[in-house]
Amino acid sequence: MLGLGMDRLRADMNRLLALLFHQGVLDEQFLQLQQLQDESSPNFVSEVVNIYFHESEKLLKNLRALLVEREFSDYKKMGIHLNQFMGSSSSIGAKRVRNVCVAFRAASEQNNRAGCLRALELLEHEYCYLKNKLHELFQIEQQRVLAAGVRYPMHN
Amino acid sequence: MAAMQRVSHSNVTTSGASGFASSTSSCKGGGASASTAEVGVHDQFPAGLRVLVVDDDFTCLKILEQMLNRCRYYVTTCSEATVALNLLREKKGCFDVVLSDVHMPDMDGFKLLELVGLEMDLPVIMMSADGRTSAVMRGIRHGACDYLIKPIREEELKNIWQHVVRKKWNENKEHEHSGSLEENDRHKRGNDDTEYVSSGNDGSEGMLKAQKKRGNAKDEDELGLESDDPSASKKPRVVWSVELHQQFVSAVNQLGLDKAVPKRILELMNVPGLTRENVASHLQKFRLYLKRLSGVAQQQSGVSNTICGSVDPNVKLGSLGRFDIPALAASGQIAPQTLAALHAELLGRPAGNLVAAMEQPALLQASLQGPKRIPVEHGVAFGQPLVNCQSNVSKHFQQSIIPPVEDVSSGLGAWPSNNLGPVAPNNNLGGMSAQNSNMLMDILQQQQRQQQQESQQQSLLSEPSRSINVQPSCLVAPSQPSANFQAGNSPASVGQNCSFNRSSVIDYSLLSPQSNNSPLNIGQFSNGVMKSTGVLNGYSAPGSISPSVSSCPVNVTNMGLQGQATITFSAARQLPGIVPSMHDIQASYVAKRGEVLDQGPLRNLGFVGKGTCIPSRFAVDDFESQMNNLSHGKLYAENNRVKQEPSVDFMDNARPGISILQQFSSNDVTSVFTE
Repeated sequence: MLGLGMDRLRADMNRLLALLFHQGVLDEQFLQLQQLQDESSPNFVSEVVNIYFHESEKLLKNLRALLVEREFSDYKKMGIHLNQFMGSSSSIGAKRVRNVCVAFRAASEQNNRAGCLRALELLEHEYCYLKNKLHELFQIEQQRVLAAGVRYPMHN
Repeated sequence: MAAMQRVSHSNVTTSGASGFASSTSSCKGGGASASTAEVGVHDQFPAGLRVLVVDDDFTCLKILEQMLNRCRYYVTTCSEATVALNLLREKKGCFDVVLSDVHMPDMDGFKLLELVGLEMDLPVIMMSADGRTSAVMRGIRHGACDYLIKPIREEELKNIWQHVVRKKWNENKEHEHSGSLEENDRHKRGNDDTEYVSSGNDGSEGMLKAQKKRGNAKDEDELGLESDDPSASKKPRVVWSVELHQQFVSAVNQLGLDKAVPKRILELMNVPGLTRENVASHLQKFRLYLKRLSGVAQQQSGVSNTICGSVDPNVKLGSLGRFDIPALAASGQIAPQTLAALHAELLGRPAGNLVAAMEQPALLQASLQGPKRIPVEHGVAFGQPLVNCQSNVSKHFQQSIIPPVEDVSSGLGAWPSNNLGPVAPNNNLGGMSAQNSNMLMDILQQQQRQQQQESQQQSLLSEPSRSINVQPSCLVAPSQPSANFQAGNSPASVGQNCSFNRSSVIDYSLLSPQSNNSPLNIGQFSNGVMKSTGVLNGYSAPGSISPSVSSCPVNVTNMGLQGQATITFSAARQLPGIVPSMHDIQASYVAKRGEVLDQGPLRNLGFVGKGTCIPSRFAVDDFESQMNNLSHGKLYAENNRVKQEPSVDFMDNARPGISILQQFSSNDVTSVFTE
């Protein structure tokens, strides 16, 4: 039974990943990330992604503050934030978030405030979607590890 | 989350590659590659490469750390550029390569790159999500050895050791060239170097103190990797001969410094076998070189300003016209014997102050005359375009005399000429001085004399006001009518120099006839006659003119002659008394590439960049030789004192001159041409 549960969990995970890839939410960089996970750092992917969430939320907050609070936005600073956002998003393979960042940056370079606001909303949306899906993924992963953990002693 | 907190709480995290103990604070622990390099390196290399990663983005930092560990590198991560910089300074020699993000809140990645390049000469790889050409170009311009676009893949990191090896390899190569350099000199040089480096850079003054140990650290470092040569030598290398470099420079000129990209340069050069990477690498060094030069120029100008007091900064550099070197050549001023022509250089404008773009090509001509009386005679004509000088000044040196004959094992003369200030005219240079070091003048060809005379006449007519500072190396005795020379009177100072070594006669002449229209003609002429009994080794007279912000200083550096030369300095004829100075300089450096100079066709290499000055050099070795000069700086200075004429100026100038020399000596710069 446990073995079956594990297989099902793995299948769920694969299906979810396939969906995210298909939607363009993730790209192969995410697989690279998974490959970096090994015995020396068993939770590497979730650790990195959590750092990413933490940083991203700060960035989103800063971006919103820049756009909303000031009459005249500091586009240069915005560009720097976006650059960082792009860097971290692309590093974990968050493709759609990254693409929105590119559009956002283009708007900010044109000092297009309306465009920036639209891009920001889209960015927040994409980010939330990504976050939800990755959480979902990690939950399945966790269950799978638990299931595996139960099983190993039996084999031993 | 735990990991994240760990990272954010401690700015610096070190993790060893598997197999290596990790230790955050000790250099020993971090010295994995050093020990590996010497001991068992070959089987494991590049495992243990010590990498410092600087990125304000924790996500990337974490990922990079893991990737680098996977490569079995010894990784230290840091989230703040300032902390990274301190770390690098504290633990010199503890890192092999630096990976840095471009955008960081506390310090721009390029600034870090620049400082690291100046202070520790480590290979720096920039990273950014911004892969636009302009951003990458900025990285190249600042001297990054690579520019990785995020997301960074593990495969890219696996290969970064190549930058470390390449750099070491280049350094080693330079060492080979300067084979006769003694270890002591190297040390001295390294240390001297440190003290001056980057002082011309804004904001970097603070770090001067921290650099003291750099020389040593660097040497150790070099030793550490020398043994890795075998792996490095696999890569075919392009030898940047003088001709090739000239093609390169002219291509860059054609494109404009800012717009020059490797691909376009490659197209323009059209040299079979040359790859875009070769060009990119050369371009990078070239830029770095320019940059350093400009730093020097600033520094120099700063000094000279204080000295002259009256120098008006921001002198109109803008008015400088281009100097057509070819035109000079065409005018016949260049004797058939001219062997080499040089380059023009330019200066780097980086210092924000430079107002205008200046072009100052330095023309160097070296002519080899057949050894008639003397085994070898060399005539070198140096043309320096001065800015804003309306007249040409030629200094004619007639034999004055003095045979102080001393053997100098190496003669070097670096003459940096300082600022030429277009400013108020005070004196005529025209009358100038005659220096003679030897009686060799006779040997000079008549053509040259005529030319010189002409130029003198011109100069007289024009009465330019300039002051000339002679800085350099004492070898040069500027003989000038005291009035002309500077000090105080003219805001601008023109430096000149002569160096002489043994059998060669060197003329620095300026010919500036061509630019009649242009306000600037340069006429500086100094002839140094040198006689050498021995064989002339290569000497190089690279002239670099660097305009500094405030004034345009012209630096002429160079000549390293070997052999025992007698150097005489004689004062100007106009002066009532002739003051001969003698110097013994023994430098143990050898200038190996004299031939190169000879072969060089006379071209205008003049590079015009915005305010940038590119010094041209003939041979890498020259710089090395200058290095030696630096070490002898004191000697020079003393000598200068001996002379009464412009002694003050000389003294002052001498220092700047020295510092300049040192800068040149830095390996990087040298390597530009080497390649």
